[in-house]
Amino acid sequence: MPKVEISGVSQVFWSQSGAIQALGETSLTIEEGEFVCIVGPSGCGKSTLLNLVAGLTKPDSGQVKANGALVTGPGPDRVVMFQESGLFPWLNVLQNVMFGLKMAGVAEPKRRERAEKLLQMVHLSRFTQAWVHELSGGMKQRVALARALAPNPDILLMDEPFAALDAQTRDMLHDELEDLWASTRKTIIFVTHNVREAVRLGTRVIVMTARPGQVKNIYDIDLPRPRHIEDVALARIAATIRDDLRNEVLQATHEEGID
Amino acid sequence: MNTATQHTPSAALATIAHAKARSNRFDRWRIHAIRAAFFASLVGLWHALVWLEVWDEMIFPSLPQVAETLWLGINDQSLTSAVATSLQRLLIGYALALCIGIPLGLLLGRVRWLNETVGMLALGLQALPSICWLPLAVLWFGLGDTAMIFVVVMGALMALTLATRDGVKNLPPLFLRAAHVLGASGWRLYIHVMLPATLPAILTGAKLGWSFAWRSLMAAELLLVGVGLGALLERGRELHDMSLVVAVMMVIMFVGLLTDRWLFNYLEQRFIHRRWGTTA
Repeated sequence: MPKVEISGVSQVFWSQSGAIQALGETSLTIEEGEFVCIVGPSGCGKSTLLNLVAGLTKPDSGQVKANGALVTGPGPDRVVMFQESGLFPWLNVLQNVMFGLKMAGVAEPKRRERAEKLLQMVHLSRFTQAWVHELSGGMKQRVALARALAPNPDILLMDEPFAALDAQTRDMLHDELEDLWASTRKTIIFVTHNVREAVRLGTRVIVMTARPGQVKNIYDIDLPRPRHIEDVALARIAATIRDDLRNEVLQATHEEGID
Repeated sequence: MNTATQHTPSAALATIAHAKARSNRFDRWRIHAIRAAFFASLVGLWHALVWLEVWDEMIFPSLPQVAETLWLGINDQSLTSAVATSLQRLLIGYALALCIGIPLGLLLGRVRWLNETVGMLALGLQALPSICWLPLAVLWFGLGDTAMIFVVVMGALMALTLATRDGVKNLPPLFLRAAHVLGASGWRLYIHVMLPATLPAILTGAKLGWSFAWRSLMAAELLLVGVGLGALLERGRELHDMSLVVAVMMVIMFVGLLTDRWLFNYLEQRFIHRRWGTTA
């Protein structure tokens, strides 16, 4: 049974200038333990696709199945990590990580223990009592990762989670995410506009077309792990994918220019 | 700098930190001095006006007269019991307004048809000075505390409701999406996400509501003579005792200032500024 089965989903948005087809009919099957990276020009609907899997929006056509069950809303088996951390400023770091567990009705000592363990894993044990505004961008994303992992979802959805970080922090978080994936074998769907990042992390890279987004090409990445972003073989694959993407990006910018 | 020295500041750094702390202390001291000077000159101006006999003593009491009235009022407990009576009405009315206004505001911010109906009504009622309710309130509840408390509730409620509603409407959608994904829904979404996320707006509304509550209560007490600060004010007018009027006015200002500086300031520091990283 595939972990995530996206069949014929599409999504239309209404704006002042009329209907915009954000996502063309898209089908995609993701197996358990895969690390799938989705790249595409901006506005191609890759975040929309992620939101559909998360259950945050409903498709206008088609359906999404996760763990064999039809997705009708958010569920504890699928947690999203956003580009901006989305941490709650009224809670401290520990309370943020415990939030999902609290919602799941886990008792206080147990959820504290689990949250502390997760914060240790993301190297933030010393910051459990800190407020969100006291953290750097990289630390915020680490907390967000811990918070997403707390309810122990088997599918992790990541929406450009490292896009706003500096290169050094991003490299570090790539290593940590790779370790995490290797040790837990969670299924990860990772949306990014950074092709190198996609090749650095993914077992498969999905290239999407310009709006209305559809799957254009799928690349299997067989590079050995741990990978390094500066690796020559990695750069070569990234270059191929980037060429593939370039026409789509050109088309997207062209369209935006006319609009 | 290597990591070993990062957490143990050198002597030079310690000196700089020390100097900064001292200059902070100096700033605070200077602000106290400026404030003291301002109020001292206000008192000086008052004295000057009395000394120049710009107005008759009967209609422009001197500071010693007011001080004496205050002292007598505290001694024979007429002033203190009036403060207690007024505060009791105020607190009951205000607490009711909080209990109704915050949940109502949260709902109005989330449920569109409710906002288009009840929200519109609240907006209209906010334009209405709550003392306008007094004639009806007296008929409904009789000449007494209940009527006054009703007027206080109507005074504070709209500001609270509308501020809470606007706070909900301006919530970053990301908070709600994160909450949904982490399994918050139904009433738990309200309690654990919307309420704390809206707290900055609610506190703003609470401050506004507090001052509206005071105004409404004073108006009601002036009109429905009995006991309370407003009634004392009215007695001052009847007896041409302007030092009593000024004394009551000063007490009202003092209570208002105290609540703002201590209660609301404390709440904002503790629950908003420290957590959200905003500055006062």
